Amino acid sequence: MLANAWLIPLFPLISFVLLVAFGRQLKEGAAYVGILSLLASFVVAVGVFFERFAEGAHDYITSFDWLNIGDFVFTMGFEVNQLNAMMLIVVTLVSLMVHLYSKGYMHGDERFPVFYSYLSLFTFSMLMLVISPNLLQAYIFWELVGASSFLLIGFYFFKPSARAAAKKAFLTTRVGDLGIFIGISLLFWQTGTFEYAAIFEAAHSGVLSPEFITLTSILIFIGAVGKSGQFPLHIWLPDAMEGPTPVSALIHAATMVAAGVYLVARLFPLFEASATAMLTVAIIGGVTAIFAASIGLVQNDIKRVLAYSTVSQLGYMMMALGSAGYVAGVFHLFTHAFFKALLFLAAGSVIHSVGTQDIKEMGGVGKHMPITKIVFLIGALAIAGVPGLAGFFSKEEILIATYDSGNVVLFWLALTAAVMTAFYMFRLYFLTFSGTPRHENHHVHESPIFMTLPMIILAVLAIFSGYVVYAGFGEWLAHGVISGEEGEGHHTWIMVLSIAAAFGGIGLAYLLYGRNNKVSTAEPKGLHKLLFNKYYVDEFYGTTVIKPYTLFGYVLKFFDKYVIGGLVQFTAWIAVAIGRLGQRLQNGQVQAYSLVTILGLVILLLSMTAGRLW
Amino acid sequence: MVPLGGYLAVGAILFSIGVYGLLTKKNGIIVLLSIELMLNAVNVNLVAFSRFGIAANITGQIFSVFTITVAAAEAAIGLAILVAIFRNKATINASEIDIMKR
Amino acid sequence: MTGQYLAFFIFALMAITGGVFMINLSRVIHMVLSIGLSFFGVAGLFIMLQAEFLAFVQVLIYAGAITIMMAMGTMMTQGGDEGEKPKRRLHNVLSFLSAVLVGAFLLYGIYTTSWPTEPTDLGANNIKEIGVTLFSNFVIPFELASILLLVALVGAIVLAKRDGEKD
Repeated sequence: MLANAWLIPLFPLISFVLLVAFGRQLKEGAAYVGILSLLASFVVAVGVFFERFAEGAHDYITSFDWLNIGDFVFTMGFEVNQLNAMMLIVVTLVSLMVHLYSKGYMHGDERFPVFYSYLSLFTFSMLMLVISPNLLQAYIFWELVGASSFLLIGFYFFKPSARAAAKKAFLTTRVGDLGIFIGISLLFWQTGTFEYAAIFEAAHSGVLSPEFITLTSILIFIGAVGKSGQFPLHIWLPDAMEGPTPVSALIHAATMVAAGVYLVARLFPLFEASATAMLTVAIIGGVTAIFAASIGLVQNDIKRVLAYSTVSQLGYMMMALGSAGYVAGVFHLFTHAFFKALLFLAAGSVIHSVGTQDIKEMGGVGKHMPITKIVFLIGALAIAGVPGLAGFFSKEEILIATYDSGNVVLFWLALTAAVMTAFYMFRLYFLTFSGTPRHENHHVHESPIFMTLPMIILAVLAIFSGYVVYAGFGEWLAHGVISGEEGEGHHTWIMVLSIAAAFGGIGLAYLLYGRNNKVSTAEPKGLHKLLFNKYYVDEFYGTTVIKPYTLFGYVLKFFDKYVIGGLVQFTAWIAVAIGRLGQRLQNGQVQAYSLVTILGLVILLLSMTAGRLW
Repeated sequence: MVPLGGYLAVGAILFSIGVYGLLTKKNGIIVLLSIELMLNAVNVNLVAFSRFGIAANITGQIFSVFTITVAAAEAAIGLAILVAIFRNKATINASEIDIMKR
Repeated sequence: MTGQYLAFFIFALMAITGGVFMINLSRVIHMVLSIGLSFFGVAGLFIMLQAEFLAFVQVLIYAGAITIMMAMGTMMTQGGDEGEKPKRRLHNVLSFLSAVLVGAFLLYGIYTTSWPTEPTDLGANNIKEIGVTLFSNFVIPFELASILLLVALVGAIVLAKRDGEKD
């Protein structure tokens, strides 16, 4: 089965090709092509996972020569290890759910088949990224993932905001991609290979100097920062919510943004070799976690709250990885994918039904949408870290990991972020589902089966996916990646603290929003205003980066228009002038022609007699 | 005897006048007449050479006969063309007849 | 001798003045008549060159037929435009220059070449000789010329005929 892992990305690729070729004819039948191909992929992925999970299984890696340049051989191929076996499951499952859900959500859209072809393209590239055995291939699909993300964010291209968001997402992630590109190039320069295994060996055998490892790790981490929406480059992710909600669920919650985390996890042995790099990852992750969570506290757009929540949770994962909590980070990636996708799909269900994204205009939706209400509640409980649900297990592991790393500040940051997470999730829940309606829409209804079924499946996973710990999931994940000891015993007080954080946040939300269910319409002030405006990061970039660049652009435009363009115009003018001259000669008047003839004769005579005259 | 050069000079002057008229006159008829004048200048030369040439004989005059014949035919055709143009364009102004341009 | 020179000057003057008037007069009909004067002058020169036959032909065809035909043509193409024409200053200057230069070249050539000075006597009555030569040595060009005239005749009629007339 492991040898057949290449089938997993193949099915979405086939689906993409089919939909591009026949999408027009298939119309909404396109959904079945996408769903069936994803189902096939999922089945194979499950098979691969269980085979890899079995006792005594080994990593499977195969590749073929792709390019021979001089002495270098570039290879393409695929590999299956613990990490990507898990990722394959997550990606195919969430993608399958989103494919199902979109059949209901996108119903009636004119570009339905196009949407499905983009989804397939995205899934294909994400899966290829996950099973890449070397950095070069990973980078290729890393960019392809970015491109399909761009297409999907800008799916409603007729909306100016969607266009702007797509551009912003693309450009912002490019900043990070530049880092990863330089990082990979430097690694290749030093080690002469793109293969993960060879790079790790070089890192640990001392071929690479520690400073060099730090440098390349941080450069690659910049790429991950861009892709995963970490602190300085997080600005694109909330804007990316302009895309259709299933896209937000698939790309901007569960899979693509997790690619950054995945990459850091995949290169964990490299990062591990540099304490500075690890610390950078942890600090950026921690700052992002608390920073995004605090913004999420006050936002009013249901999808934006979830987006900031995603940013915050991704920061959590980074923090865990940076604190050497490899298992904790990856585990949180695993559980988060399910409950965040669930939350997005439930939010999409509400938006689909109510017709607005503003939680101030919602309220009381739960009465009409019981299934959505319940699954959203499950997702919210899971992300808040209430015991018994998936988020509890992974979050606790992260807290333990940060505590064990010895960085107390990070630990408290993580705990505060946990309180905030619980708070804003339940603020969202209370304002949206409970209380009395604050909207004019009387046609609020439960979503069709195609939308509720994926939500129910994900809800089940949001509850139970955490229990894989008891099946030896953590040890299995860590096997071969983490050399050292793991799990220095349970810190019961941390567990208690995390439970307290969860319930504290929920309780606070209930006090503020659950009881009287009122929305203040006053202008935000002070800290609230700062948070509401997202710490003015966008404005800051606007003045420090975009303005100078725009000015520079104007200079270039001026140069192009008047210098380059002038040269071009001048060349054209010369040709035109010569043409004009010829045109004047060619005026159709017989006398003008005769004059030229006789002038010619005169010149001939002159030239022939000149020698004799002088 | 008036020397040969005198006749040739008269021919040359007439020819130059014909060239100038051909190039500048606007009326098509005058342009045609200028051409006749040039032909006449040639005739003067031919006849002069027929009397003063190194191998002078009557052939020069016979050549002139042909020239006059051709010139007459040319004048007739030219005038016919001018009449046709005048009928179509209501002008025989040489500077306005530029249909060759198109 | 002086009589010959005098006659030459008178005829040459007639020919050249006729040409100059043709250039300078303003009315078309005057131009046509002045060129007739020029043709007469040339005919006189022909007589001085013992080419009496050609002189008569010159008077008949040029001074008679062509001048009259052109005068008729002028009348037929009267009217239309006498409005302000676009000035073609450069064209005119260049035309004048080239005409003067051509003339200057020719005159220079004539002046610098040494010509045979002795005239050949072509006989007092060379019309007969022209006829004999024309019908012996030049009979084919002669016939071709007649065909040319016939073609010109037909062509002129076809061209000048009104378009609408179909017969």
